[in-house]
Amino acid sequence: MAKEESALKVIIVLVLIAFFSAFLLAYVNKVTSGPIEANKKAETKKAIGIVLGELKNYTFPENPQETQIDNSPVKYFLAKGADSTIIGYAIVVKGPNGFTNDFDMMVGLDADGKIIDTYVLDHKETPGLGDGMKTEGFKKQFRGKTLDDTKWSVKKDGGDIDALTAATITSRAFTGGVRRALLLYKKLKEETNV
Amino acid sequence: MKLIEKFKKTFFTENPVTGLLLGLCPTLAVTSSAENGIGMGLATTFVLVGSNLVISILKNVIPNRVRIPAFIVVIATFVTIVDMGLQATMFDLHKTLGLFIPLIVVNCIILGRAEAFASKNGVWDSLIDGIANGLGFTFALFILGSIREILGSGAILGFKFWPEEYRTILVFVLAPGAFLTLGFMLVGMNKISKALQGGK
Repeated sequence: MAKEESALKVIIVLVLIAFFSAFLLAYVNKVTSGPIEANKKAETKKAIGIVLGELKNYTFPENPQETQIDNSPVKYFLAKGADSTIIGYAIVVKGPNGFTNDFDMMVGLDADGKIIDTYVLDHKETPGLGDGMKTEGFKKQFRGKTLDDTKWSVKKDGGDIDALTAATITSRAFTGGVRRALLLYKKLKEETNV
Repeated sequence: MKLIEKFKKTFFTENPVTGLLLGLCPTLAVTSSAENGIGMGLATTFVLVGSNLVISILKNVIPNRVRIPAFIVVIATFVTIVDMGLQATMFDLHKTLGLFIPLIVVNCIILGRAEAFASKNGVWDSLIDGIANGLGFTFALFILGSIREILGSGAILGFKFWPEEYRTILVFVLAPGAFLTLGFMLVGMNKISKALQGGK
């Protein structure tokens, strides 16, 4: 058994270790924060490209606007055409109460509030079950629909959406997320018409 | 020769997962696919090598009374570096593993090697120990992830070989499948270990 070290030595060693690790982390943070930020931007840009599908020649702002739908934060990018009219909306919403947690998804709407496409940004749903929400077979039923022409819940709950096999909870959350995006569109329309 | 023995030991008889049953939380949680298993294994290997190195260098400086907090600070530093590094370089992998990366701090394999090996041995030996244990861990996670992915999703490393219209054994990608697979894997690995040890 080694002899007991003095309290002073203990303090000095711990402070030094903490100091060096803080210094190292500050350096790594400085080096990586740029690429991380760029990765996140690239991901958002890619998502916008997907959810706005066939729309061409639009511009969207660097940073999204924010608001609240159902007491949940919603971010959205207004895509503007050449004459600066709004031709589409890329809306980032939370799919509420997924199987593992809320998940982030993006919904693209055209100027009439019709769904162009959907994209799941970040999720922790079960691989093989819940992540089926990324598949074409599930996504295609949303395209071209609006808030009013569809009952926005899964068939089990009396709505119009075909749930994924063995992933009803994820399907509910996904449908809820899409509905929020459509509600945002309605809210934005109402605001501009007043 | 000693090196080969060491690797054989950490891959089979004293594999951190199947031999010592350490670090089972990340083992069960992230191995729903082979790719996740490899990612988690390599991230852990990096932390293990880094912490083993630093701790073996500092072993005479760190007072015995506060060695655990000192080890944890060192380990947490490396974990944060991995977290930020992955986010900067492999964003997609970080999206799937992100939740579990911070948990490497409390992976008992790492503290276990620091306490049992690096704090008592030289820098070179600790480096080898870190690599061997890390790869042994990666190996176990890869096997576990592969089995679960093949049976549960009908795919291997993301490549689907099973036709869409046929069902796969879904339970294997869920939590119970992790326990089942691990159980059978332990049986298999124990057999291999026994065989490796020969008539001893």
